[in-house]
Amino acid sequence: MRPAAGWMVIALPLSCGGLAFGQTRELASPASAASNATAQAAVLKKYCVTCHNQNLRTAGLVIDTGDLLRVPDHAEVWEKVIRKLRTGTMPPAGLPRPDTSTYNLLASYLEKEIDTAAAAHPNPGQTEAIHRLNRTEYQNAVRDMLALDIDTAALLPADDQSYGFDNIAGVLKMSPTLLERYMGAAREISRLVVGASTLPPSAETFRLRSDLSQYEQLDGLPFGTRGGISIRYNFPQDGEYIIKAELLDLFAGAQVKEPHQLEFAIDGERVKVFTLAPRGRGGMARPPQDAAKPGDPPKPPRPTPEEQQALGFGGKPAEFLVRIPVKAGPRLLTATFIRKTSALAESIRQPFDRPHGEGDYLMYEPHLGSVTITGPFDPKGVHDTPSRQRVFTCNPSTPAQETPCARQILTALARRAYRRPVTEAEVGVLLNFYKEGRSSGAFDAGIEKALRAVLVSPDFLYRVEADSTKVGSSGVSRLSDLELASRLSFFLWSSIPDEELIDVASQGKLKDPVILERQVRRMLKDDRSSALATNFAGQWLRLRNVTGAFPNDALFPNFSDNLRRDFVEETELFFGSIVKENRSVVDLLTADYTFLNEDLAKFYGISTVHGNEFRKVTLTDPSRFGLLGKASILTATSYANRTSPVGRGKWILENILGAPPPPKPANVPDLPENGTSGKAHSVRELMVQHRANPACAGCHSRMDPLGFALENFDAVGRWRTISESGEKIDASGVLPDGTKFNGPAELRTVLVKNQEQFVTVVAEKLLVYALGRGLEYQDGSAIRQMVHRSAETNHSFDSLVLNLVKSTPFTMKKSSSPSLTAARGKEIQ
Amino acid sequence: MIIQKMALPRRSFLRGVGVTVALPLLDAMIPGLSAAPVSPRRLGFVYIPNGAVMSRWQPKDAGALAELPYTLSPLAPFKDQLIIPIGLNQKQAESFGDGNGDHSRAGSTYLSGVHPKHTEGADVQNGTTVDQHAAQELGKDTRLRSLELAMEQVFLIGNCDNGYSCAYTNSISWRTPTDPNPMETNPRVVFERLFGDGGSAGARMARMREDRSILDFVDSGIAGLQKKLGAADRSIVSDYLDSVREIERRIQIAEGQQDGESALTLPERPIGTPETYEEHAKLMFDLIALAFQADITRVFTFTLGKEQTNQPYPQIGVNDAHHAVSHHQNDPVKLDKGAKINKYHVELVSQFLNKLKTTPEGDGNLLDHSLVLHGGGISDADAHSHMNLPLVLVGGAGGSLKGGRSVSYPAGTPMNNLHMALLEKVGVRTEKFGDATEALSI
Repeated sequence: MRPAAGWMVIALPLSCGGLAFGQTRELASPASAASNATAQAAVLKKYCVTCHNQNLRTAGLVIDTGDLLRVPDHAEVWEKVIRKLRTGTMPPAGLPRPDTSTYNLLASYLEKEIDTAAAAHPNPGQTEAIHRLNRTEYQNAVRDMLALDIDTAALLPADDQSYGFDNIAGVLKMSPTLLERYMGAAREISRLVVGASTLPPSAETFRLRSDLSQYEQLDGLPFGTRGGISIRYNFPQDGEYIIKAELLDLFAGAQVKEPHQLEFAIDGERVKVFTLAPRGRGGMARPPQDAAKPGDPPKPPRPTPEEQQALGFGGKPAEFLVRIPVKAGPRLLTATFIRKTSALAESIRQPFDRPHGEGDYLMYEPHLGSVTITGPFDPKGVHDTPSRQRVFTCNPSTPAQETPCARQILTALARRAYRRPVTEAEVGVLLNFYKEGRSSGAFDAGIEKALRAVLVSPDFLYRVEADSTKVGSSGVSRLSDLELASRLSFFLWSSIPDEELIDVASQGKLKDPVILERQVRRMLKDDRSSALATNFAGQWLRLRNVTGAFPNDALFPNFSDNLRRDFVEETELFFGSIVKENRSVVDLLTADYTFLNEDLAKFYGISTVHGNEFRKVTLTDPSRFGLLGKASILTATSYANRTSPVGRGKWILENILGAPPPPKPANVPDLPENGTSGKAHSVRELMVQHRANPACAGCHSRMDPLGFALENFDAVGRWRTISESGEKIDASGVLPDGTKFNGPAELRTVLVKNQEQFVTVVAEKLLVYALGRGLEYQDGSAIRQMVHRSAETNHSFDSLVLNLVKSTPFTMKKSSSPSLTAARGKEIQ
Repeated sequence: MIIQKMALPRRSFLRGVGVTVALPLLDAMIPGLSAAPVSPRRLGFVYIPNGAVMSRWQPKDAGALAELPYTLSPLAPFKDQLIIPIGLNQKQAESFGDGNGDHSRAGSTYLSGVHPKHTEGADVQNGTTVDQHAAQELGKDTRLRSLELAMEQVFLIGNCDNGYSCAYTNSISWRTPTDPNPMETNPRVVFERLFGDGGSAGARMARMREDRSILDFVDSGIAGLQKKLGAADRSIVSDYLDSVREIERRIQIAEGQQDGESALTLPERPIGTPETYEEHAKLMFDLIALAFQADITRVFTFTLGKEQTNQPYPQIGVNDAHHAVSHHQNDPVKLDKGAKINKYHVELVSQFLNKLKTTPEGDGNLLDHSLVLHGGGISDADAHSHMNLPLVLVGGAGGSLKGGRSVSYPAGTPMNNLHMALLEKVGVRTEKFGDATEALSI
C-alpha cells in the first residue's frame, strides 16, 4: 500500500509536465550557498521525496529532480512546498517529520531564495488590464458622483463570482443583456438626477420578510412604534404619489380584538394614521377606517359582503392607501404600528419571536407585509435635491451662458466618472449629446442626455490600465499614478476616487511613497472605507449567506429575520472596528468585545444591554471571543436543521489556517442522516463513519475535530449543552498531530499559537480582493512581505493595507501581449 | 398549388389595460400567399431541479399513451402533441473523477452535453447549450435571440457545490462555452426588456433613436480603449463590441416592427416579483407566451428552481425543503411529496401550454409551431443519477411531431441526440453537438 495520501494535497493533473522540474543549467555558486542547498536537499530527500518523486508522483508533485540552488526557476513548485510546510500539513500524520527548527529552516530557505529573486526581478503577475465595475462599485460610483443612493440590485443583473469575491475581472464579462441593462440604468439614473424627462408612473414594492418579528420597535423606526418598515426612497419628481401598505396575509387567521393603528410618515412628519378595527365577531381584521381622531372609540362595524369584496377581504389582506403630494428627492418613508402599552396587548402569550411557524399562525398582532409607492401623478419637475445641487454647479440665466455652463458641468462629471482629467474632445462629444437634448427641450434636458451617455461610456464602466508595452517597457512596468488611484479607491472604498485623489494622481505625486501612505491613511479614515466591512469582509466571511439561511422554523422558532439582520450587523461592526481602530487583524480571532443590541445580547445570554442601538460590549465569556463566537458565521456554516462540524471545520481550515481541503473524492456517497433504525444519527456517529472510510479519513481527521470544538453552538449559534440527538455535547477534539482541545476557547488558543498563518490568510484574501484576480505563485513573495512587515506593528490593519498597496502586484503591471509572454516562456526554458 | 390558410386576425387582444405594441407582420398573416412553412418555429426548455420520482413520471411500457402517468396527468389536454422519452442519459454530468457536485453538473450539462470543468475560479468551461444553438438561427430575425428566466435569485457566493463555481448552478444557458447567460428572475425587468417601460409608440420610437446615438458613442469609446490595450486584452473588449452590435440589431428589428398596424394589448407592467411562488411562475410564463405571440423571441429557457434548491411548496401541502425531500431514501412519504412537487411544476407548464394553444397563429396556434421540453438533469435524486432522465416533450413543431406516445430508447442513448432532433425539428442544422452520436428519431 502506498503511504497515506496527504489530506491536503492540491489536486494537480498528472499530465501537467510544468510541475516537474526540467533540466537545469549547471551554475557555479558560492560555497556557503551550495552547502546550505545541500543540507536542505538532504532534508527533502529524507522526508519528502519518498512520495513526491518521478515514479510515484504523489498528488502530482515531483520534487526529487529539483535543484535547490536554482529555487526561483521553479518557484511555482516550491511555493506549493512552502505552503505545505507553513501550514504544517506535510509530511502527513503518521510519517516521520524533522524537528521544528530543521522543518522551519527548509521553509525559510525556500522563501528566501524566491524572495531575493523576486526583489531583483519583480513579477506582478497577470492582472487583467480591463476590469468592469461590478454592481456594488457601480452603485457606490453613482452615490459619490451624483449624490444619489440607488439599489442596483433592481437595475442590474448579479455579477458572477470567483475566488470567493464578485469583483474578479476575469468573470466580469459583458453581454447584450447586461449592456441593455446598463442603458436602462443610465436612463433611470439620469432621470432621477436631473428630472427633465417625464416618465409614466411606476410602482415599487418593498416587502418585509414574513419571518420578521414586528412585536417590538425596529431599528431605524421611531420610539413608541412597533414593527413596520423604513424606506429611503428617491421620489423622482415633485408630484403626487400613492402609498399603499398591505398586512402580512398570514394575519388573516389572527384573532384581533383591539384596534391597531398604522402610521405613515415621510421624513418624520406624520402623513396619515389608519385604524385597523376588530370585526364584531369571528376575529377577522376589519378594513381600515379613515384617519382616527385621537380618543375616538373604534366603531365595531360588520362589513357587508360587498364591502369585503371591495376591500379585498375574501381572505386577502386589508389595504391601507393614501395619495399625497411629495417633493422630489430622497426621503425617508416609514410605515409602522403605533405601540400600545403592554396592558393593551392582544395576548400575554408570546410563544416565539418568529411571527409564525410553519403552516400555522401564531401571530397575535398584525404585521406589515409590504409597502408600495406608485407615482408620480401630475409630475411637476424636480427642484431641489442633493443630486441637483451636486451636478448643477452653475445655472445659466441667459442663453449665452448655457453652453459654457454645460461644458463646466459635463467636464466635472466626466472627470469623476472616468477617474482622470478629460480631454477637450471627450467633453466635445458629451456636449453634442447636450445640444441634441437642448434642441428639443430645456437646458436640463440637454444635461440629462449627456449624463446618460457618461453612464454607459466604456470609460466609466471599465477600469483600464494601458498595456505596458505601450508605455515603453519590456513588459513589466509601474502603474501610472491615475491607474494606481483607481486601484486604491476600488480597493478601499469599492468606489471611484474622490477629487483629492484624482488631483494628487494627475499631478504625478501618488508614486511618492510618503504621499501614497498619507492618502491611504486618509482613505481608511473616510466613511467610505466601511466598504471593507460590508463588501470585503461580507464576502470573505460569507455574511451574504446568512441572508439566505433558513434555519428550520420548527427547531428554531426564535430565529427571525430580526436576528438575521443583527447577526450581519454585529459582524460588520466588529470587522469595521478593526479597520477604524487600526487593531491587529489577529484581534479578529481573539477580541474580547463585540457589538450588540438588546435582542442579540439576549440571544447570547447577556442581560445588560437595552435598546435597539448597537454598541460596543465587553465580553466575559471567552467562548464568544472573536469570529468563532459570532452567530453569523456559526449559522452560515450550519445546515437548516443541525450543525455541521465538517462545514465549520472546513471554514476554519480555509479562513483561519489557510489550508483548504481538496474537494470530496469521487464516488463517495453522502452519509445517510438516519441509521437503519430510522433514528437520527448523532453528529459524532456520522463523523465516526468518516474515520472508518480511508478515502474520507485523511481530510476529516483534521476537519472534524475543529468543528467538534464548536459543537456547543447550535445551528444558529446559540449556546447549548445538549445536542440535536439529545446527547450531552462533547466539544473535545484531537488533531492528527496530537494537539488536544476542548471547546471554542481552547480551540482558539491552538489556532492563534501560529498567528502568522491567520495573518497570511487575511493578506491573501485582501490581495485577491484588491487585485480582482486569483493569486498565482508569483504573489507568494508579496504576501510574505505583507505578513512580515506588518509584524512590526503587531499586524495592524493599516500596516497590512499599506504593505499591500506598496507591493509589486499592486503597483506594477505586466503586458498581456502574446509575443512577450512567448519570449518570457523561452527564457525560462 | 392552391394554398388555403386561415388568416391571423389583425388585432388580437389580451385582457388587460395599458400600452400596446405592434405585432410583427408575419408571413402567417398573409392568407394563402407564402410558400410552405410560414409560421416561425419556436423552442423552449423548462427545467426542474432535484430530480424526479420516475415511477410516477414514466409509463411502464413504451408505445401509444392511453392514460398519462400521475406526474404528467395535467398535460392530458395536449396528449396528442406529447412524447415521453424513456432512457435518455446525460452522461457528461457524471463525475469522471471530479468528485461530488452532481447538482452543479446536472444543471450545466443538461442542455450542453459537455462535461463542465471542475473549478470554482474564473476559468469556467462548459459547452454552448442547445437553446443557444437554436437561438443563433431562430433568433436572426427577432429582437431578442433568446430569453433566459429563473425563479430564484443569485445570492450565494463562492464555491456553490463541491468545488464548482456558482456559475454552473446559476444558469443552464451558455451563450459560449465560457459565458453563461444571466437568468432573470424579476418579471418587471423581463417586461421592460420585452416591451420597454411603457409609453406611446412615438415615445418608444424616440427612445430607440436615442439608444442608437448612445450606442454609436459607446462604439467610439471602445475604439478608444482598444488603443490602450495589449493584443490579448483587446479580445476581451470584443464581447463588448458584439454586445453593441446585438443591441443595434434589436433596435433595427424593433423599428421594422413598428410599421405593422396590428397591435397586441399588453397587461400592466408588473411592479416586481410577486410574493408567492405560484403567482411569480405564472407571470413569468405569461411573459414568455407574450414574447412568443409578439414574436420578440422564439427561444426560451426557464428554471423553476436552482439545483439543490430548498424551496418549500406549502401551497400544495409540502412544507419541507425540496432538496431534503428529494433525498427520499425510499421513504414513501418523501416520495409522495417529491412526486407532488413534480406534478405541481407540470401543472404550471400545462397552463402555459394552454395559453400557447389558445393563441391562434397562421394555420393553427402557437403551440402547433412550438416545441417545449420539460424536464431535469437528475432522475433519482437519492442516487444523483443522470440516467433515464425525467423528460416530456410537447408541441406540434409545425406538424412534424407525432404525439400521443412514449418512446423507449436503447441503453446509453445520449440526451444530446434528442437535442439534435429538436434542432432539426425547428430547422437548425448542427454537425456536432456535445456528445451526440446522431439525431434521435422522434
